[in-house]
Amino acid sequence: MKPLVVSNLTKRYGDFEAVKGVSFSLEPGEIFGLLGPNGAGKTSIISVIVTLTQPSSGDVEVFEQSVSDNPREAKVHTGLVPQELINHGYFDVEEVLKFYSGYFGVTGNKSRIDFLLDRLQLWEHRKKKVKQLSGGMKRRLLIAKALVHEPKLLLLDEPTAGVDIELRESLWEFVTDLRKEGLTVLLTTHYLEEAEQLCDRVAILHHGEMRKIGPTKQLIEGLTQRNILIQLKSPLSQFQHPYLIDNSGAALHFRVPSGVGAGDLLAESQLDLSNVVDMKIEEGSLEEAFRSVLSGTRGELS
Amino acid sequence: MIRKELTWTPFKVLLEREVRRFMKVLMQTVMTPLINSTLYLMIFGVSLGASISVGDLSYLAFLIPGLVMMNCLNNSYQNSSSSIVSSKFNGELEDYRVSPLSPQQIVMAFAIGGLARGLMVGGITFCVGQVFYFVQQGTVLGLANPLHLLFFLVIGGLAFATLGITVAFWAKTFDQMSAVSAFIMLPLLYLGGVFFSIESLHPFWKGLAQMNPMLYMINGVRYGILGVSDVAVEKAALVSVLSFIVFFVLALRTLIKGSFQRW
Repeated sequence: MKPLVVSNLTKRYGDFEAVKGVSFSLEPGEIFGLLGPNGAGKTSIISVIVTLTQPSSGDVEVFEQSVSDNPREAKVHTGLVPQELINHGYFDVEEVLKFYSGYFGVTGNKSRIDFLLDRLQLWEHRKKKVKQLSGGMKRRLLIAKALVHEPKLLLLDEPTAGVDIELRESLWEFVTDLRKEGLTVLLTTHYLEEAEQLCDRVAILHHGEMRKIGPTKQLIEGLTQRNILIQLKSPLSQFQHPYLIDNSGAALHFRVPSGVGAGDLLAESQLDLSNVVDMKIEEGSLEEAFRSVLSGTRGELS
Repeated sequence: MIRKELTWTPFKVLLEREVRRFMKVLMQTVMTPLINSTLYLMIFGVSLGASISVGDLSYLAFLIPGLVMMNCLNNSYQNSSSSIVSSKFNGELEDYRVSPLSPQQIVMAFAIGGLARGLMVGGITFCVGQVFYFVQQGTVLGLANPLHLLFFLVIGGLAFATLGITVAFWAKTFDQMSAVSAFIMLPLLYLGGVFFSIESLHPFWKGLAQMNPMLYMINGVRYGILGVSDVAVEKAALVSVLSFIVFFVLALRTLIKGSFQRW
């Protein structure tokens, strides 16, 4: 059973089309990254999944329950960490978590609440009113809320925006642990390095359209090139090679397709190994892949 | 077929939240109306009222049921509307939509939560009124028709709590909220026969006052406490029930169509 199937989803606000016929689905237990610049339609898609807004056309199914036809069943297994912080004027952290569980039909889950308070370092703040919490604590409370009813699908809408590095790392560690227990995660983020490390697959959206989708590694390999830098003992100013993009004399800078290994390059260019001091290889990053998708080019070589 | 744990639990928990919310701010929710009604009773009931009587009744006796119901209706309305408006402002309203609460559950929880506060404040107003009455008359007011009293308090409270839900969901700004309070709620309350009998009005104003559903609810409560009413009690009951049904349907519609997104 697929945790999430988005089929041909379109969302219009007046004349503006925020999401244009987007389709994708999530496999159980994967971390899936929904990437795109501001205004790409990421939050609109998430809003449809949690029924905050209705699709203009197309549908979304969560564990085979349509969010349009059967919204309550569709929401039972979903947890959402929204982009913006939420205040709860009157209640303390523990009360908020108790009420929120109840809205999902879950009661008597003190051990789950205690576990989350402990794991998200909110234990000593559990009796504090939410308005007394710092931004980082409120962010952690949002995560605790999203997980308190033990969802099987977690939606993270830019959970690390404005969050310090320590909290970010501990959050990702937690998400990785939860994934081992079978949780499926849909993540949007502007931190592409995070997405590259975490996501099994990513989709890149631009102006409401799905531009690219695939396993993170493959996508990077397909869309980027490797940089190979070779430092030389004695300059080879006359050296020529199709992959060479810079020759400062003391160093050669090659940009090669992701399929080409450094060994192949050395052998093929017939460089004298005894003349090589050092070698540096830089793999393409998701960020480069992202840029090349947005600019509409697929790199110079492919 | 909806799963069993979603039938009652989400509703009960939201209702509990609604009641706990106004209990946490008792100063605002209970003390303010308490002081208000004490002032009304002192100024109108005791000072001015000494020279007024309504039919065979002392003015104080006439005033007390009106104040009880006015406070009940107003607090029921305030509770649901201010809870929703502050949730909108905090972003908390999204929580209700993101979770599997149904629109019916949300409306009922806010309605009964509002009613709880209305009944509490109405009850306190009645007790304060009794103190004033005892000082003036040496005796306390009995309850002529306690079941009627309960019926009108409950139906009226639910009607105004659901009206509060509709207005709060509809409002796009705090200004719109206070405009509804100032231009609709207050005139209806003050012209609903709390302070005077509509029998004393010019026929034109009397006709107009008879269009006000609050008049019927307030007179229903007056019938419950004193056994007298400006309008036939059956008619009062009918108007109250119809108002509740209309406001409930409106609230449900607004909730299904309306936006849960934050301001």
